[in-house]
Amino acid sequence: MNESANLDQREAKKPFYFNTSASLLRIGQEKATTLSELLHALHTCSSDSIFQHTFRTLQEHHFIREGFSNDFAHWAFSACNEPGLAERLASLDVREYTDVGDIRQKIEEIVAGYIEANPASGERRSREPFYFCASETVVLPTPFVAHSMQQFVEDLSRVSLHSIHHHFIEARLRLKLNSNDFSQWLQEEDLPEAAAKLNRIDIYTATLEDVRRQIILVVKRALV
Amino acid sequence: MDTTNISSSPIHTASYSDAVVDSGVSPVDAGPKRRRTDFHLDGAPPPPPPPPRLLDYEPIIGQAVLDELRYLAEALQGKSVKMVNSTAMGGGVAEMLNSLVPLIVELGVVTHWDVITGDNDFFEITKAFHNALHGGEYHLTRKTQEIFLQTNEQNRKRMQFDEDVIVIHDPQPAAMIDGRDARDSKWVWRCHIDLSNPNPEVWSFLKPMVERFDAAIFSSQSFAQRLSVPQYLFYPCIDALSEKNKEIDESYIQQICDDYGIDRSRPVVTQISRFDRLKDPLGVVKAYQMAKKYVDLQLVLAGGSASDDPEGAQVLAEVEDAAANDPDIFILNLPPWSGLQINALQRASTIIVQKSLREGFGLTVTEALWKSKPTVASAVGGIPNQVIHKLTGVLVHSVEGCAYQIRYLLTHPDHARQLGKNGHEHVKENFLMTTNVKRWLLLLRFLLKAKGK
Repeated sequence: MNESANLDQREAKKPFYFNTSASLLRIGQEKATTLSELLHALHTCSSDSIFQHTFRTLQEHHFIREGFSNDFAHWAFSACNEPGLAERLASLDVREYTDVGDIRQKIEEIVAGYIEANPASGERRSREPFYFCASETVVLPTPFVAHSMQQFVEDLSRVSLHSIHHHFIEARLRLKLNSNDFSQWLQEEDLPEAAAKLNRIDIYTATLEDVRRQIILVVKRALV
Repeated sequence: MDTTNISSSPIHTASYSDAVVDSGVSPVDAGPKRRRTDFHLDGAPPPPPPPPRLLDYEPIIGQAVLDELRYLAEALQGKSVKMVNSTAMGGGVAEMLNSLVPLIVELGVVTHWDVITGDNDFFEITKAFHNALHGGEYHLTRKTQEIFLQTNEQNRKRMQFDEDVIVIHDPQPAAMIDGRDARDSKWVWRCHIDLSNPNPEVWSFLKPMVERFDAAIFSSQSFAQRLSVPQYLFYPCIDALSEKNKEIDESYIQQICDDYGIDRSRPVVTQISRFDRLKDPLGVVKAYQMAKKYVDLQLVLAGGSASDDPEGAQVLAEVEDAAANDPDIFILNLPPWSGLQINALQRASTIIVQKSLREGFGLTVTEALWKSKPTVASAVGGIPNQVIHKLTGVLVHSVEGCAYQIRYLLTHPDHARQLGKNGHEHVKENFLMTTNVKRWLLLLRFLLKAKGK
C-alpha cells in the first residue's frame, strides 16, 4: 500500500507553490593570497559574493556530509593550512542568519580574531589564491503545487534538490526569519511541532538528499 | 589470501582488498600470461552518432532538473544566438558545441553556428597566440597583427550578425567584435584557454578587443583577467551520453580488457592522457613501481596518437623504456576516435590517476569522477575545482604522494568507494552538459534582461 495513503487528506488552507532557483557565477575582481588580504576583501566584496561562498556553495556541494560548510573554511584548511581557523569558520551555520551583512560581519570577526591571535598567519602566502565570485540568481516556478498534506509530501520527493535548497536554506534571507518556507507553511497549517522540528535538521552533517528525506519523515510523522 | 587463486579466478571485477600482496607470492609470476606492448586501433573514424535530445538526459538528471531548463528557456523563446569558432571538427570547443547547440535549439533559442576560415599563415599565427596566451615566449610583429586582423575582417564581411547574442569562442575570431554595429545585440567572448599567465605582448593586443564585448566567460576563476567587462565562470563539461561517458555493457568492458590482456581480477590503475611530458606519464610509472612494492596492481597508460608530435613519440619511447619488461604495464596508443574504448578502460579501472604537471581544466578527471572512480590527481589547473581533497578524490603534489594514495585507496575500499560516489555527484551537479545549458540560458536571460512568465 502506498505509505502516503495514511496521510491527512484534508485540503491545505493555502496551497504550497514549489519554486526553485538557478544561479550563474560571476568572477569578482577581488582575490586573496593571504589571510590579511582575505580580511580586506571580505570587507569590500559584494553581498552577492558572501551569499555565493556561504549559501550557494552548500547547494553546489550538496552531496557532501562532512568537512564542507563554506568556501572560506575550505580555503583556510586546504590552501592556508590553518585548521584552527577552518574549524571556527566551518562552525558558522548560515541558518542562524537572516541577513548577508550579518554573516559578513561574523566571518570578518573570526578572521580578524584569528590573525590577531596568530600574527604570523596573516601574511603567510596561501598555496592557492581565494577568488571571490558572486551569484546572479533567478527564481523559477515548478509544476508542483501542493493542495493537501499528502500532495506536499509527494511533491517534496519529486522536486529538484535546487528547490529544496531554495525553500529550506535560502528562504531565511527572503523571510528575514530564522525559519524556512516549509516550516512557515506547516505553521499556518496548524502543525507547529513539525515546523519546529524542520528547523532542527542539521544541514551540515547530511547531504541535501538526506535533508529531503528527513523533511518528508518529519511531515509524515506529524500526520499519522 | 592467495594471489594465485585470484589471478586464475573468473572474477571480472578487481576487489580492492585483493590488492594486498600476500607474502612470498610474486603477482607477476602468479598472474596469467598477459600481452604488454603497444596496441593500435586501426581504421577510419566512424561517423558521429546523432546528438542526444533533452529527453534522453531525463534518466540522468531527473525530470525536475529538466523542467528547470524548460522554465529558464521560456523567457528566451524566439531569441537568437550565433556561435562563432575556428573549427567545426576536432578539438574540445567543436565537441562541446556539437552537443550544446542542438540542446539550446530544442529549448526554443534559435542558434546558428558559424566557423571562420583562414589560410595557413592565419592558423600558424593563432596557434602561436594560443601557446603565448598559455605563457609561452612570442614576439608580436606588425605583420602578424595585420594577418590576424585582415582574416577576421574577411570573415566578418562574410557573416551576418542579426542575432540577439553573438558568442565568439577563443582568440582566433576575437577581432570579429569589429562587426558590432548600432543594433542592440549583445556580444560575449568565451575563452576556453588558460589565461592565468599570458604573454604580455599578445594579451595587450587582444585585451582592448575583449573589453569591447558585453561579457567574458572563463573556465576557471584562476584564468580570469582584470577586465572592464563582467566575467562569468562556465566550467568545462562532459556529455554523459557521449561515446566516452555513456553507460556501456559489462560485456564490452570485458571484451576490451580481454583484447588488451588486462586482468580484471586484479586492481587496475589507469591514466588516460596523450603522451606528453606535461601529463607526466613517467611519473605515473614511477608511482606505480613504488606502490607495487606494497600492493598488487596493473597500470594502464592510454593516450592519443603521437604520430604527428615528435616530442610525443619521444615521450612514448621513454615510457616504454621505463616500463621495461613489466607485464603489468599496458601502454595503449589509441586513435582520436577511441571514445568507447577509453570509456571501457576507465570503467574497468579500480583507480584513475591524472598526475599532470600542468593542466587546463582536466576533463579526463571529470570523466573519471563521472564513472564514480576513486581519483588521484595533481593539484594543478582546474583539477582542484573537481577534486576536493579527501572528499571527491585525492590531490597529490609528487610522485611519492601519488604512490602513497594509490596504496591507501587500494587498501581502504570503503573510503575509495565514498570518494567515487561523491565525485559522481559533484560532476552531476556542476560539470555536465545539461548544467552548461543552464548556464547559457541564465547568461542569455541576464544579457537580454528577459523575464519569465
